[in-house]
Amino acid sequence: MPPPEDSSQPRLAAGCRWGAENKTGAEQERVILFPEGAIRLQGTGRQILERCDGQRTFAQIIEELQAQFTVADPAKIRADISQFLEQLRHKRIVDY
Amino acid sequence: MIPNPLALIAEITHRCPLHCVYCSNPLELAAVASELSTNDWLNVFQQAAKLGMLHAHFTGGEPLARPDLTELIAGARTAGLYTNLITSGIGLAEPRLQALVAAGLDHIQLSFQDSQEHAANWIAGARAHAHKIELSQIIRRHKIAFTVNLVVHRQNLDHLQEMIAFIEQLNPDRMEIAHTQYYGWALKNRAALLPTREQLEKAVEIVDAAQNRLAGRIRIDSVVPDYYARYPKACMGGWGKQLLLINPAGKVLPCHAAEVIPGLEFENVRDHTLEWIWRESSSFRRFRGEEWMPEPCRSCDRRAEDFGGCRCQALLLTGDATATDPACSLAPAHHLVEAALLEANSNSNVPQPNVSQPTPASSFVQLQQKTAELWSYRTNPE
Repeated sequence: MPPPEDSSQPRLAAGCRWGAENKTGAEQERVILFPEGAIRLQGTGRQILERCDGQRTFAQIIEELQAQFTVADPAKIRADISQFLEQLRHKRIVDY
Repeated sequence: MIPNPLALIAEITHRCPLHCVYCSNPLELAAVASELSTNDWLNVFQQAAKLGMLHAHFTGGEPLARPDLTELIAGARTAGLYTNLITSGIGLAEPRLQALVAAGLDHIQLSFQDSQEHAANWIAGARAHAHKIELSQIIRRHKIAFTVNLVVHRQNLDHLQEMIAFIEQLNPDRMEIAHTQYYGWALKNRAALLPTREQLEKAVEIVDAAQNRLAGRIRIDSVVPDYYARYPKACMGGWGKQLLLINPAGKVLPCHAAEVIPGLEFENVRDHTLEWIWRESSSFRRFRGEEWMPEPCRSCDRRAEDFGGCRCQALLLTGDATATDPACSLAPAHHLVEAALLEANSNSNVPQPNVSQPTPASSFVQLQQKTAELWSYRTNPE
């Protein structure tokens, strides 16, 4: 299965959704629920997935995060996001 | 510190239109009259969410046998839980599915017994296969996650490849290929269900190849048979560590089969809060952590990974719930599992079906008689 293309519009797969905001745990932590489990997300992982709304394109998501994290190598940001989304697609949590 | 439970297995009824020979329900099923009320369950879901639980897995029996299922799903979802319906699909047509989805159903897991109609109905003891195929198409029209579950065993493993191709056509997000686990009715029928080593090795290859081929499209989760493993399974992720199960009558159990263990008293949600039962009750404390462990578990490097295996399996096979799970190659009682494997791998000792081909029968009673020497079908509660 290929990585996302610039025009891909990543989104949460059917039956995968955000859980309620964690009130007691670490600040800024959110959880994605899926059929057999859940992943806790904070930091950049959370920021990437919150942009996977089926509207933004892969290229837009990268631009936004590159603009936000100016100290990091843009090429590395791109490669990391691509790999992250590909992994989540294999788990059937993300579609693109 | 005792961690919060992550998921609730809600066994809402033991009634079931199927009679699967590998059913893991207890032999002694909870009577219909003892079932929890709608309000009891709604209260449980509120408590579960407050305890930090994330998932509610609705199972049975057949959850659809409860006319209030839609209300229960809505209650769990409103409480904040992810809702998963584990079903045979019998009793589900489009209007009811639509109502369930509107109530907040997140995921449906539909079981199949085989790819071939006769064989599937033979295992299930009911004519269910054609309906399941039709239902799969209906499910895909709704925005919920769809998993197809297939239990595999001696009688169907030889055409696993064909079964995977069949499931692929149903277009689920996930397929779960689960080797039979030997509890309840399945243990009673073990001789007819335990595969040969050759069957198993072939199956592993087939699943690996399918995983690669379908990557990114259909995720395949596979549950391996612990009888052939070197180390035992981490049953329920550890006793009282991640999961709890509530049976139809409201008894709270650390796992599906726990009631077979003598001397344990299981508390009821009618009498205590879920939090108290999870944290304080003697049944949940009994095998939590490492205190109870015998050697070789106590000094084993793997004790934090598999927790000594399954307590119920230890009891069922050795008569002692504190024994190391006999599925472990290091267990003093491992010879019990080895003996079962020896029998499964020597053709002469295995009971052969007295029906050479799975044949359709006009009634369940007739089917029961035809296969009487091979296995016992799961019955139904009063």
